[in-house]
Formats: sequence, structure tokens, C-alpha cells
Amino acid sequence: MTETVDRRRLLTNAVVGSAALAGATALGSLAPEAAFAAGDQAIEPGAPDPNFAEGRITGISAGMLFVTGSDMALWRIRITGGTSIWKLRPTTFDQVAVGDGLYARGLRLPDGTLAADSVWVNIVNVHAHIAAIGRNLLHLDHKGKRIVGHLVPGTSAARYNNTPAVSDMSMLRVGKHVQVIGAWVPDTNEVEIATVYAAA
Amino acid sequence: MAALTGTMSWFCCGNSWGPCGTAGHGACGTCNSGSYQHAWPNASAACFNITRPDRCGVSMTRRGCGFRHYTTNRCNGKRIGTTIADCGPQTDLWCGERACCGSVCGTNRIVDLTAAAYSQIASLSSGLQPCSVDTV
Repeated sequence: MTETVDRRRLLTNAVVGSAALAGATALGSLAPEAAFAAGDQAIEPGAPDPNFAEGRITGISAGMLFVTGSDMALWRIRITGGTSIWKLRPTTFDQVAVGDGLYARGLRLPDGTLAADSVWVNIVNVHAHIAAIGRNLLHLDHKGKRIVGHLVPGTSAARYNNTPAVSDMSMLRVGKHVQVIGAWVPDTNEVEIATVYAAA
Repeated sequence: MAALTGTMSWFCCGNSWGPCGTAGHGACGTCNSGSYQHAWPNASAACFNITRPDRCGVSMTRRGCGFRHYTTNRCNGKRIGTTIADCGPQTDLWCGERACCGSVCGTNRIVDLTAAAYSQIASLSSGLQPCSVDTV
């Protein structure tokens, strides 16, 4: 817990103008896997988490994302040098666009902004059946609706029952159930595929 | 009750964007991606008849909407308390599936956390992690 608090304090300081973030990595990785809070749970099970945001980006300005939540809540999300950003793959702030959807986790500051530790842009986790397979395409049946999954050379990978992630998609079969982590293409029924989880 | 071990993933529910836009508020009518909640394969008899964890050899106690579980990410030891808000995952679609961190492995899907809950103990981009689920 101490490490997390110290790290968040550094993030907060960075947001309000301190240069303290320069030393943040001395406390450990700033990757998402290392960024999660530990220790006692402050939020009651079942309750909304005030340090978590969801919605679509309506504006971007000077390191700030303006987001309208799907419940119409308005969010101002601060991106700092310590924020990890995922959009199909780990990426940078300049790849984030108006219209993108997101989930973000961070720390709510007194001014109401969320200082983000991690932002996952357009991320989806789809459980579906493979309806058809094309060249660099998976047609997925998801709750009775079709999703077109694009395989991105150099990025998309498959995991067959805990095998290491491989680029070989040849073991995927029509009719089989899969889980897809990917990035939604806004306002379409298409996703770019990061990882396909499938039975061997 | 001894902790139940297996794998965990995440899901969206409530108002949302993209493919999640039609997710609804889950079997309990209360589910929201931003809340500390989870889906449980034996949330009711009707739910169990869909998810069928028994077909994978998993014995799972029936617990209804609002019941509190504590899920631990066995990759990093991080733990989160959540309440049942939906039915799932469909365990029998994934019988025998494993997820490992080094020598620590989980087999069979036993719980899906909301995006808010999962992201508190793992990265959403990780998709699948070994876990244990307890009541205390």
C-alpha cells in the first residue's frame, strides 16, 4: 500500500505542477500491471468506484481528455507522463482521438479531475462464436449480432489454452467459441484484434 | 468455505459504448461497469442451467444477487470485494482452459468482474488471469 500511495502522491504532484514524477519509476514500473491499488478496499463491494471512468471522448486539450460517460456523467481526465495508455497496444497520447471510447483508472483530485494511472482506449472483451474466417478477418457472432474482427499483422495474437501468444491463427475454427480482446473502431461493428483466446 | 480457484475475466454492463452498448444491467438488473460487481455462474437455478460449471468438474455454491465475494488475482495477490450482479461466465464453454503466471495456474472460468473491479487488480488488456474466490 505504501508504494501505491507514494506513487499516487507523485502522480498528483505531477498533475499540480511538481516535477516529482521524474522519480516515480524509482518506486517500480508504471505499466498497468504494476499500477493497481493494493491494501484495504476503500470502496464498498457493489458500489461505484469514483476513481474509475467510462465513456466517450468529446474533447482533447493540453493533456486533458473530456469524456461523456454512458450514464451522461462528465469527466475531465488528466494524462500525465506516468499514465499508461492502451489502444490495441501500449501507445501514446497523440493516438487518442475524439470519438474514442475509454475506461480509465486513476485518482480523483480535489478539483474533480481524474489523474489517470491507466487509460484503455476502445478496449472490448468480446465472447463470441466464429461465424466465418477470411483473410485477416474473423466474423464473430456476438449475442446474435455480427462483429467483424480484423487481424492486425504484427499485433494480433492467439492463445490456445494458455499457450504463449502466437501469431498463428490456423487453429481457429468456424463454430468455436472465442474470447477477443481488441480495440473497437468507433461507430462501427468492427474491432481490431489484440488477442484471441481459444481452446486448442 | 475453501477458496475456489480458477480463472477470471471482465465484462461490461449497464450503459456503455461499442459492442457493450446493448449489454443491459445484467440478470440482477443492477449491473454497471463502473461498480464493484461480478457475474457468478450459479446465481440461480436458471443461471446454472446455462453456465453448467459441473460439466467441468467445478462445484459451485448457489448464491444470489448482492452476495459478496472476494476475488484475488493470483498473479499479483491483489484482492477485490464485489457483489453478484449478473449470471456468468458460461463455464462449460471453457472446460479445462488454463491461465498461468509462471507456475501459478488457474483452470476453468469461475468469475467475471466488472471493468471497474477487474481494473483494480489487473490490467483490462490482460483479459484472463488465474484467480481465487472466497467469501471473506
